[in-house]
Amino acid sequence: MRMDTVIMGGGLSGLSCGIALAKRGKRVAIVASGQSTMLFNGGSMELLGHIDGKAVSNPLEAIATLPQDHPYSKIGADRIASLAERAKLLLTDSGINMEGNAAANHWRITPMGVAKPAWLTLNDHLRIDDLHHLPAKRLALMCIRGFFDEPNSMLAQGLRDLGFEVDAIEFTTDDITALRRSPSEMRSTSLSKRMMSNAAMQRMADQINQLATDADLVLLPSVLGQNDDSDFQTLQAMTHKPLRLVATLPPAVAGMRMMKQLRHYFKMLGGTYLMGDSAVSGTFDGNRLTSVSTAKLADMPLKADHFVLATGSFISRGLVADYERVYEPVLGVDVDADSDPDRWTRFGILEPQAYSRFGVATDGELRCLKQGQVIENLHAIGSVLSGHDAVKMGDGTGVSMLTALAVNDHIIKG
Amino acid sequence: MAERMQICNLSENNFEQCTKCSICTTVCPVAAVTTDYPGPKQAGPDGERYRLKDPAYYDKALKLCLNCKRCEIACPSGVHIADIIQHARMSASEGRRATLRDTLLANTDLLGTMANLVAPVANTTLGLKPTKWVMHSMMAIDKHRTFPAYSRQKFTTWFKRHAAKDQDAFPNHVSYFHGCYVNYNFPKLGQDLVKLMNAVGYGVHLLDKEQCCGVALIANGLYKQAKRQGRVNIDSIRASVSRDKREVITTSSSCTFNMRDEYPSMLGIDNADVRDSISLATRFIYRLVDEEKIKLIFKQNYKRRLAYHTACHMQRMGWQLYSIELLRMIPGLDLVELEQECCGISGTYGFKKENYERSQAIGSILFKSIEEAQVEAVTTDCETCKWQIEMSTGLPVENPISVLADALDVEATRKANLISD
Ligand code: SF4
Ligand code: SF4
Repeated sequence: MRMDTVIMGGGLSGLSCGIALAKRGKRVAIVASGQSTMLFNGGSMELLGHIDGKAVSNPLEAIATLPQDHPYSKIGADRIASLAERAKLLLTDSGINMEGNAAANHWRITPMGVAKPAWLTLNDHLRIDDLHHLPAKRLALMCIRGFFDEPNSMLAQGLRDLGFEVDAIEFTTDDITALRRSPSEMRSTSLSKRMMSNAAMQRMADQINQLATDADLVLLPSVLGQNDDSDFQTLQAMTHKPLRLVATLPPAVAGMRMMKQLRHYFKMLGGTYLMGDSAVSGTFDGNRLTSVSTAKLADMPLKADHFVLATGSFISRGLVADYERVYEPVLGVDVDADSDPDRWTRFGILEPQAYSRFGVATDGELRCLKQGQVIENLHAIGSVLSGHDAVKMGDGTGVSMLTALAVNDHIIKG
Repeated sequence: MAERMQICNLSENNFEQCTKCSICTTVCPVAAVTTDYPGPKQAGPDGERYRLKDPAYYDKALKLCLNCKRCEIACPSGVHIADIIQHARMSASEGRRATLRDTLLANTDLLGTMANLVAPVANTTLGLKPTKWVMHSMMAIDKHRTFPAYSRQKFTTWFKRHAAKDQDAFPNHVSYFHGCYVNYNFPKLGQDLVKLMNAVGYGVHLLDKEQCCGVALIANGLYKQAKRQGRVNIDSIRASVSRDKREVITTSSSCTFNMRDEYPSMLGIDNADVRDSISLATRFIYRLVDEEKIKLIFKQNYKRRLAYHTACHMQRMGWQLYSIELLRMIPGLDLVELEQECCGISGTYGFKKENYERSQAIGSILFKSIEEAQVEAVTTDCETCKWQIEMSTGLPVENPISVLADALDVEATRKANLISD
């Protein structure tokens, strides 16, 4: 089967690149094994959150100071602003409504109640632009009885530490109680499926209206809207107070929603999404990759002019470590990783870990290398890239989207 | 040493690879509509730990699993969740007898043979109110269900009378595993396949012996019978592949998935030597087009808007792209690819009274998306999805092979492939 571009990996970076290419009329196939780490996303994108443990307030300025091997530096610090603008547009086109500014981080609230710098946040989720000017004084934090995915007391304490007055209000409805028969399924994704009917939403609104009478803003765990933000709009119309969702522990409804919307948009543009398949090997001809074989298509490999590696980091198996080495399992391209396993990790789970900066090696155009030689038609994007650290720097989603668009430009130019 | 340790740790179903991320549960269509089902994580890897300790931990709710395999596709850690669940059901059912209802539903070919003999009577009888009432209350087959109509003439009868004698004249050859549905309910699909294959120069042949692939037997716990029939099929397929040098094609995604993947994993039937030679017809045809061995020429004035539904087992095989790409070759066909959702029937599952409501609730997301797509018909590779979608949306549902055969300019195609009359 012949395509213009084959993308290995169907997460945020793979889909962003695929959408951009399909929009330019290219024939694109995305090979997506399983679900992506976007399911861990609580509703925000980050460009750059921290440098050396300090919160970044203006990502555009801070990006200019990053070392040469950071993916943003390879793209070129001067291009970040326009790429960020295009990334936001791509999200809007997919039906994902987010707000934010690449030159000024706002704050998102984690399920643990910690404020973290963010670039974009879903419109129906809590966003704080300025910690000195909170968007409300008195919060009603609606706590679902028996719910697994929100550590309510930590969240409430975190919000209080930020300066809010918080009423933590426990509530339930018939729909929620019914779900509790299977206690292990009191998860946000199961709840969001329960809550899809107007009747269920009305029962929830009744509770909120009855219990949260003296709040300026009502917070509800993010258990609404698997498909888009219309469920939130419905509930908001039924409630008397302004309403915002707060992130829950993963798997998160917000991430699930964004993935569905991106996938849907990609398919609408005529893209081919091979769900549940995975790239297993490639055939090279000199310094070009000519085809990629997948587990399911077996002896009918995907041929293309361009290939993009977007297989993610260790958790998605884009990178693999055994006791001796770190490697890229599909194509065997070069990786940037310490050769001494003793230096991969250090004690303390919250310490910066060397392995989180490991990834495939690329040249200035984000092209992969194999035994030191540049593969002309193979680019890498997203978490599989070396030189960044999604956990410590808060640059994961930004790197995914911006490298995807930068590589789209390289491919379109030819 | 290091490598070996990592390998030795693996169990057959990868169950210890589970990281408890619960991603599987987010895609399970059953857990989404009922709290009676604990969901794939709990029913699969979590429950397995208990069951290994003591089989008494077996949870009867496991029979609610559709075996749709969506959980396996979603799992980032490669856990064979649905296989774990099916195996647990299998060991729990040992020594227990299936009910009459389950046996009847499972034996699609037995039911088919009887019904064909008396097709006009059977169709009315199975459709009549009193009959439905008896089935509903005595046999627990849901009264809302309409049995797929039985054809008066079996596909094999038609084939032997009208097509068999012409097949040897073609330059290339394949064997066709038609399955119960084509044989008893809808011979037209088989006829469409013959028409299409003949037009591109392929003679179509029946297998030495074909029996029901057993997908419904497995679902209803009749494992021994499934195994017997599976052996007969694999032997016949082997004869076709090695003796006659003919690949085997099918028009049902469920039969294909069952024979390729469930035979070895569920029934312990070794099919390694022929597995690659069993293919869905759309994959087989796509490959020929892709390798420029054949050409398809379509009618000029063809115009239709259809929605493609990816059956769960089709997605598990990862082959929907062949059907979709072939359909996209038809000029004038406006194809909407639906977001993959389970239709809820899962073979005979939805026929059972206790499952009817759940089955419809599961399918409701799909039915809504079909409605929104504003199409004149739906196309899918699975026959039970067809029944379910036709019953629930009122729209006709066709196999991609029938759509292709209908859109094909047979004369021009024969000419392009240098086939003379
Ligand atoms: S096979 Fe389907 S029904 Fe069964 S647990 Fe997995 S997703 Fe749920
Ligand atoms: S998706 Fe896989 S790893 Fe995650 S809980 Fe389910 S079985 Fe375990």
